Amino acid sequence: MAIPWLLDRLRQWENEPALIWNDRGFSYASLFRAVTSWKEQFRDHGVQAGQVVAVEGDFSPNTIAVFLALIDLTGIVVPLSKSANGERKKLMEIAEVEFSFRFGPDDNWEIQRNDRTVTHPLTRQLIQMAKPGLILFSSGSTGENKAALHDISRLLEKFKVLRPKRRTLGFLLFDHIGGINTLFATLSSGGTLVTVRNRAPETVCRAIECHQVELLPTTPTFLNLLLISEVYRNFDLSSLKRITYGTEPMPEATLRRIRQILPDAELQQTYGLTEVGILRSKSQLPDSLWVQLGGEAFQTKVVDGLLWIRAESAMLGYLNAPSPFDEDGWMNTGDMVEVDGDFIRILGRRSEIINVGGQKVPPVEVESVLLQMDNIREVTVFGESNALLGQIVAARVTLTRPEPLLALKKRIQIFCKDKLAAYKIPMRIAIVSPEAISPRYKKIRQPQKAV
Amino acid sequence: MLLQSMQPKQKPLSRTEITALVISTLRDVLSRQSETRKHKKAVQESTPLIGEHSVCDSLGLVNLIVDVEQRLQEEHGILLTLADERALSQKISPFRTVSSLVDYIERLIREEIPNDAA
Repeated sequence: MAIPWLLDRLRQWENEPALIWNDRGFSYASLFRAVTSWKEQFRDHGVQAGQVVAVEGDFSPNTIAVFLALIDLTGIVVPLSKSANGERKKLMEIAEVEFSFRFGPDDNWEIQRNDRTVTHPLTRQLIQMAKPGLILFSSGSTGENKAALHDISRLLEKFKVLRPKRRTLGFLLFDHIGGINTLFATLSSGGTLVTVRNRAPETVCRAIECHQVELLPTTPTFLNLLLISEVYRNFDLSSLKRITYGTEPMPEATLRRIRQILPDAELQQTYGLTEVGILRSKSQLPDSLWVQLGGEAFQTKVVDGLLWIRAESAMLGYLNAPSPFDEDGWMNTGDMVEVDGDFIRILGRRSEIINVGGQKVPPVEVESVLLQMDNIREVTVFGESNALLGQIVAARVTLTRPEPLLALKKRIQIFCKDKLAAYKIPMRIAIVSPEAISPRYKKIRQPQKAV
Repeated sequence: MLLQSMQPKQKPLSRTEITALVISTLRDVLSRQSETRKHKKAVQESTPLIGEHSVCDSLGLVNLIVDVEQRLQEEHGILLTLADERALSQKISPFRTVSSLVDYIERLIREEIPNDAA
């Protein structure tokens, strides 16, 4: 048994609900039975310890049971969600997937066997150590997906500490470090994972109301969608005790408005990376974006404004890229931060920070100001290359009512004048129809021309 | 709405029209840029846009360029990039004064129009 404490822990919750899927409850005992029957399936299909197995689908009784059964078998799990569909072949090649279990919307499944043996030295090393593995793909908005190989026993080590059980919404995807964290944080504490068919605000709100969800781990983009859709007005969301948000910088304006509509929910910023896992964080004040990151198994430092992390739960390495760790195990996150004593504020990816004639502009700061304006529904700020200044600040805006472009630009510049430094005020404005949002509910900050 | 206005108009802009467009855009940029600085000086063709005596800083200049580009597109269906490598590699900068900018726009439009018609 690869992670003995985990299954022992799950076994003790017995008749408590582990999962709500398609509005039906599944107890820990039934999850356990499913794990046992999957281990039989593995024997029948010749799936063995040390093999790389893809689990394609979303959170469901079967996908979770397969996941647990594979850990138990000391397999190497490659979760893939629907959003990876277009690239699945390529991803499976990079991960050297030997078997794939593909789950449909009704949790029916099919198995695919690939004629392949694992050759990557890192994966082989993990197999030799007889450790269960996890391969996740970083969802970088530019360039190739990088495959991160984890020893999942190290990644899950932090869940040994028993935490309060909560009803948690499975918002973050199954193949995302945040989704994996949600899954195991919930199960290891005897909580209930409430799954949703899609991540639209209405679906999410309905699930929160129906199943008295207490914890919503989500993204700033989703919270912004929730605000502008105003669907929260139609549902009782008072069961929500806590909302965690991460994966991208939070506009201050969004944070403030969420606090207004959900005054009883505690808002907490998380910080995680595919490569190191999710760090615990403590906010300075409820409304504040200043946080203290860390936890026992994590160390952080800031070098030249960039956040570096060293973690016991760090991955072994990438399967298709050079190691991002230095000799001492530190990894440059690529995130720009501001430091104030023990607290930091995350400004965003360095690659997304706009450089106007040498002066740095975090897109989220500009977005936060623009979101306070009348008639601006959504906004994405990005850098547009400019021959004179290197880059200028550009904004793609979705409006509530039609407004002429030049009038809008004038209004934006006047509104921003006493709120932003001159170089941070958007110069290029484009009016677009609904905002580009990735399947992971993160903004797509690409400099594309609107018309 | 935007798409319609992008249809190129048949008649090329006259120099007078371009000058009027640049000057009114510049006035607009200056009025937005700062109320404290005194820009009561008349904006005219000889008004310098860069250098010691210019009416605006580099951000103002880029704002002017972007706005002129956007107005040419919105109001006249002319799609031009004014600030690029080419503009910067001119022997005489097109951004020295209002009139040098107007010259440059006029030249670019002359080059563009036959292409559009083809």
